[in-house]
Amino acid sequence: MSLSTHTTPSGFVLPSIHAAPPFFTKQPNPATEAIVIEQWSKLILSYARHRKLFMLRVDDAETPGGEWDEVLRNERINRRLPPTHLESILTAMVVKGVAAYEPAKQTRSVLLYWRLPEEWAEVLHQWATSTGQMNTIMTYYEITEPAVPSPLSNIPIPLLRKAIAILAKTNRAQVIAIADGEGVRFFAPAK
Amino acid sequence: MALKRFSTAIDGTIPVVALLYNDEELLGSQDTVGIYDGLQKSPRHQNGTVSITSHRLFYIDSSNPEAASFAIDLERISRTDYYAGLFTSSAKATLYLSAPATSTEQRPGGAYTQQDSADDRVLTSGGPGEAVGGGWECQVCAYKNPPGLSPGASRVCELCGVPRDALAPSTSTSSSDSPSHHVPLSHLSSSLPSPGLAGRSTPTPSTPNQIRSSKDPLPCPACTFLNHPSLRSCELCDTPLPRHQSSKRILKSAPVSRPGSPDGDDLEDGGEGVIKVSFRKGGDKPIYALLKRSLKGKAWGVWVATPISRADSTDPQNRSVGISAILRSVETTTAAREDTLQDALQDLEALRIKAKDMVRLAAELNDRLSQATSASSPSQNAYGLSEGGVMTPNQEPEEATFIRSSLTQLGLHMENSPVTLDMVRDERKWVEDLGRELGKVLQGSTSASSSGKDAKGLMSERGIIALDEAWGGWNRARGMALIPPSTFLQAIPLLPSYTSPPIHTRTFASGLRVLHRPEYGRSAFAARLAGFLVSRGEKSTLEIAMEMLNDPEYGDSYGGAVGGEKQTLSVALTQEMIEDAERDGDACRDDAGECAILGGGGVGGMGGAGEVKWYPNLFLGYAWDGMEVEETV
Repeated sequence: MSLSTHTTPSGFVLPSIHAAPPFFTKQPNPATEAIVIEQWSKLILSYARHRKLFMLRVDDAETPGGEWDEVLRNERINRRLPPTHLESILTAMVVKGVAAYEPAKQTRSVLLYWRLPEEWAEVLHQWATSTGQMNTIMTYYEITEPAVPSPLSNIPIPLLRKAIAILAKTNRAQVIAIADGEGVRFFAPAK
Repeated sequence: MALKRFSTAIDGTIPVVALLYNDEELLGSQDTVGIYDGLQKSPRHQNGTVSITSHRLFYIDSSNPEAASFAIDLERISRTDYYAGLFTSSAKATLYLSAPATSTEQRPGGAYTQQDSADDRVLTSGGPGEAVGGGWECQVCAYKNPPGLSPGASRVCELCGVPRDALAPSTSTSSSDSPSHHVPLSHLSSSLPSPGLAGRSTPTPSTPNQIRSSKDPLPCPACTFLNHPSLRSCELCDTPLPRHQSSKRILKSAPVSRPGSPDGDDLEDGGEGVIKVSFRKGGDKPIYALLKRSLKGKAWGVWVATPISRADSTDPQNRSVGISAILRSVETTTAAREDTLQDALQDLEALRIKAKDMVRLAAELNDRLSQATSASSPSQNAYGLSEGGVMTPNQEPEEATFIRSSLTQLGLHMENSPVTLDMVRDERKWVEDLGRELGKVLQGSTSASSSGKDAKGLMSERGIIALDEAWGGWNRARGMALIPPSTFLQAIPLLPSYTSPPIHTRTFASGLRVLHRPEYGRSAFAARLAGFLVSRGEKSTLEIAMEMLNDPEYGDSYGGAVGGEKQTLSVALTQEMIEDAERDGDACRDDAGECAILGGGGVGGMGGAGEVKWYPNLFLGYAWDGMEVEETV
């Protein structure tokens, strides 16, 4: 049985395992299923990073036509990831810390940490430094929708808030309440 | 005359079938017959139709059916004669009639007693036929007995079996028991020269069930108002009065109704009479045969044979009524059933003994075969006459093999008699012997036996067998000395030491236990399955069950097809083994029903689209070969 990788229209190279029908079935054997989940989370995170996707919902597996179709479905072998299987994969990812339920207290949609919040904090601070935003007050909107596209473009507010909170802990940022919501001021790290 | 005394007038315009009781059956009829009353021709009954039923003999006059027709209860016929006819004399059947046995025994009571009881019979079953054949309510259990039963059957309550008149002080059936206060009255009445109605309605105060005098006021059945006897319906509530209708009928059938004064014949004949049926135009033989059959059948007495009444009749001393009678009848029925059951079990015992014989026969047959085979000389006398001299030496092994394989298929093949506990004192030794025996049953006798050729065992051509089948086969082979499952389980662990290749036990997750050869062990089978899947591609459970054994590379050691037939595993067993392999991580599944975009999903899927396919474990040792998205900051 020879399985091969496949390049999607979006330029993402799917692993060969994605062409194996058993990959989509929830395996009763826990050891086998652990491998399946591990491969799936790796695939999901890679694809999310490739497409700069932050959210994954169980609904994405239920209704075709979404931005996750290339991964959750494989038309070539007539297989799709059943929603229940996706949900268990998401649960495993949350447990592993590479995703978080968003909003909290439900299990059907997650925020994907293809960068961990700590990494995002670094990225954010680096971006602020490189674009000369030190010591100025910025709104969240200015960060998520910058005039010049940045790695932080379209970052979900909850994730941004987490990153800022991490920076605030190390005294590299300060959350400021402003007229139309919240703002942040970045500081250069204490020398 | 005898005819008058013993017959009952009927309305011949009504078809015979409509006159029958509910439990009566019409057997046959013959037309153009004449009746002799005694020795003389009865002038009124010279051309009519005779019908034989299970209970009665009907005569329907063809010229005057309304008035001249009658019926005679077969119960009265004590014997019959047949006269075949001579020249102008036609064939005749002579019926000797007698009053019921109970009253004829009462000879001392005098002729009038019998005549009287006979009268009672006529009255109760004739004129007030509605009263006897009609519905009545049991005095004990208040069950409303339906009308239309024969007098015999309606004499007791259908539900509780209590005789109808059990509580009445004196009845028609008990008339012979109390002749003292019965005879004078009836004597008086029967000798009264009152013609027609008056004489017919003999007033007997002690017999409430019988007819009242037509002069007595008639109680309405609905409102109990005492009406004038001549009224047709109740004065108060307009309910039709039963007595009136019957009296009208009696008027119509005057000749057979009780005459006002006794005939001289009655005195001469005592309680007996003779009637001849003359068959003017043949047909005598079938009708006479039917009559004899019907008399033999005694349908009127059949009700006596029912369990309920038997309970009463076997124990006349304790004859009682009501609940206790019902309870006793239930007890009797139970006892009878127990007897039947015990009889049945005795039959089973006999069968067991027969089974033993059969096993012995099989053993003998086997022995003879062995001897015959070993003695290669063509002396086949042991086979008996059936095959005897015509058999040639090269035919014989074929025959022997056939018989032997038949025995094996029946599970009757044992090299020697089965091991039983009384043969071996030591229990441990016993279990060991059992293990050895079971090994032989499963694998056949691999030792060089006298037969020369190895006998086939249950697992000779199969690598795996369910525990129940093995147990069943072993017990069949043992014949009489059956092994309980517990002992069977004790013997199983010893199997590997007595079998080669060793047979082991395997328990599946579902609890199914099997005996198997080494290649069906958990890991061995999983490895074979994995290899099979890798080389042959993904397979469904069914495909594995059908194909794997026949695969030259991954089948079992029997090498695929045996005897031209493809070997297959049962699907359920295959499923169990695959799932075990999956549990061990040697296979993984693809549930197309759940995961397919098209054709699968939903309810069942179409055809094979929804079934689970099995793959070798693709995930084991899989290394990521997808895109590594590098971080670009």
